[in-house]
Amino acid sequence: MSFANRIRALTYLITAVPLGTLGAVVILVGWTLTPLLAITPAVVPVLIGFRAAIGWVAGVEASLAHSLLGVRVSPRTRTRSRRGFWGQALDIVADGEFAKQQVFSLFRFAFGGLLAIAEVSLIGAAVAAIAMPVYYSSSHPDVNGWHVDTLWKALVYVPAGVVVLALALYLLRPLAASSQWLARRLLDSPDGAITRSSDQAGRPPSVMSTSVPEATRLARRQALAIHTVVYVAVNALLIVIWAATTRGYFWPAWPLIALFLPLSIHAWVQAVDEQPALIRRGQTRAFAIHEGVFASFALFYVFLWLASGGGYFWPMWPIIGLALILLGHRILIAVRQRQGELEERIGVLEDTRAEAVDQQEDELRRIERNLHDGAQARLVALGMSLGMAEQKLKADPEAALALIEDAQRGAREALEELRDLARGIHPPVLTDRGLAAALATLTDRNPLDVELDVDLLERPPAVVETAAYFVVAEALANATKHSGATRVEITVHRRDGSLEVEVIDDGHGGANPSGTGLKGLARRVRALDGTLEITSPAGGPTVLRAELPCES
Amino acid sequence: MIAEDLALLRDGLVRLLRDNGFEVVAAVQDGDSLVETIAEERPEIAIVDIRLPPTFRDEGLRAALEARRRIPETAILIVSQYVEHTYANELLADGRGGIGYLLKDRIMDVDEFVEAVRRVANGGTALDPEVVSQLLSRRRADGPLEHLTPREREVLSLMAEGRSNAGIAKELVLTVGAVEKHVANILSKLRLPPSEDDHRRVLAVVTYLRGERD
Repeated sequence: MSFANRIRALTYLITAVPLGTLGAVVILVGWTLTPLLAITPAVVPVLIGFRAAIGWVAGVEASLAHSLLGVRVSPRTRTRSRRGFWGQALDIVADGEFAKQQVFSLFRFAFGGLLAIAEVSLIGAAVAAIAMPVYYSSSHPDVNGWHVDTLWKALVYVPAGVVVLALALYLLRPLAASSQWLARRLLDSPDGAITRSSDQAGRPPSVMSTSVPEATRLARRQALAIHTVVYVAVNALLIVIWAATTRGYFWPAWPLIALFLPLSIHAWVQAVDEQPALIRRGQTRAFAIHEGVFASFALFYVFLWLASGGGYFWPMWPIIGLALILLGHRILIAVRQRQGELEERIGVLEDTRAEAVDQQEDELRRIERNLHDGAQARLVALGMSLGMAEQKLKADPEAALALIEDAQRGAREALEELRDLARGIHPPVLTDRGLAAALATLTDRNPLDVELDVDLLERPPAVVETAAYFVVAEALANATKHSGATRVEITVHRRDGSLEVEVIDDGHGGANPSGTGLKGLARRVRALDGTLEITSPAGGPTVLRAELPCES
Repeated sequence: MIAEDLALLRDGLVRLLRDNGFEVVAAVQDGDSLVETIAEERPEIAIVDIRLPPTFRDEGLRAALEARRRIPETAILIVSQYVEHTYANELLADGRGGIGYLLKDRIMDVDEFVEAVRRVANGGTALDPEVVSQLLSRRRADGPLEHLTPREREVLSLMAEGRSNAGIAKELVLTVGAVEKHVANILSKLRLPPSEDDHRRVLAVVTYLRGERD
């Protein structure tokens, strides 16, 4: 169970406090009114309202269970009835789903709330213990009759706090599991309102997912509305109590601030998920929420300061503290991103280096094979012819002459082969006269109608020239051999520090980018950090575009 | 004189030329000494490899062009393992005769090579058939070249290589009269002025072919 899921489970437990209370109140009111009005017609609308309220709570509970526990349950929030006025009331009372939902609410009220308070207390105690060395000197607390007045005594609490915190986090697991079980058993109904989607069942929703189902979206908005109402109501109540009693020190400020934190987080989570544009470029969802919460808090502190009559601007300190935390978050993201970029870059370099080595290996093997089967073999034959000619020179000068002519032909063929091989490795004119001249020669050798447009003010680096040359050579060879093209357009020009090479033919398309030729080309281009794009729809035209960075 | 960096080829060339009645005044290994030696020895013809030390690029070509700029009467025959018509254009750019550009392969056909050396030394031209075929390989679909007969195209190629009418006749086993008729036809089809000077004829034809290509 991931940490995020544990936090979700804890949040779910805490929601038991308002929702369980709400459910319990509804049940109490419902079952008080129903017997009282049982013989009057008024019992029917009361039961209908009762049923609707429980159904609504069950709906909110189901969406919470889905978003926080990852269980997809679909409660039936209404009792269907086709039996007249009184029959409707009987149907509601006899509705098994209605009963289950009430039991669920009571469970949530009785156990969920208790467990939530227990969990929060455990975590609070753990945090207090861990933070003991920070604050012991100002308060010298008595813990279990032990007076904490030195740093060493305070430090003793740190490991204890860690153990308790680990225990609290560990306990969340069985608590979440039992909550899931409870929701499945009591909330789920085979003919529930929310349609089941098999692929999402039992899996927490992806937090980055922007395609939230409409029903879930509505439920989330409702949840936020409830949260806000509860916040306002609780604090209003506290302020009324304060006004009616002491009227001295404004202690409701503490619950006002403390309860504002979950509300503001909740509100910003909702805001960011509904408006993904709030996540700025290169930022994360968490940071967008953090920023929002920070802004709300800063404003809230200022508001409290104004409301409490100004004076010393104490909000400065919490605002600076929160701003530092926000800054830390921002730096963390930047560092992570930089790290990610570097890791990605290293990955690319590793790949292209391996490819370049492979390619060189292949190339050497090809050259070796060509030499072995071609020129070498021809030279052996040539030597044999000359040897035989030597033998026959005196006895049969006629035959010797024929053999010498053979040898001469062999030598010429060997030379031609060697020349082609050399050109395939690196065309000499490319080094001597540059890309434009080399491409001109290349296109001259080609039987197709080739339009060549090379626009270069200065010569690009040699490796780039070579790569560009072979891009054109391969594209031209493909166009000639496979595409059935009659016309080829080649453009080569500089753009923003890159060499852009484009070859377009009017053939029937369907080039295979994973063929050996194009794959080798892609590797050659990638090794220079360039990009190679091939579009070749059936029916043509085939467009091959390479971008080769010229700065090293 | 000869400029060639590979000893095997250099010595072979010297022997080949001496056997065929030439006097070899010097054999050097790099471009700088080529220019110096030409200035000192004033040979009739310099046979130069394109690739020479120290760069092993087109050092020989540059040195030869430099030598020719200083001593314009020197004939230059470039030999190379590969031919590029770009280089041919650079060699022919000054519009004077005594220029040759051949693949090293051609040396094997000793008689023809010796003939080409003589022709270039006498102010003629010797372009490798490979260069000519590069020039001829691409042409406009409806250009005048399309109206040549296959025989006329053969004659045109040989003209571009720098052969005289007599040489063309020998190569194609025709009478000189028949060759003259073909040449006249070709020149009129391409609207080129007739010329007695073989080198001028080559220049005209090559210029024409380049114009047709671009």
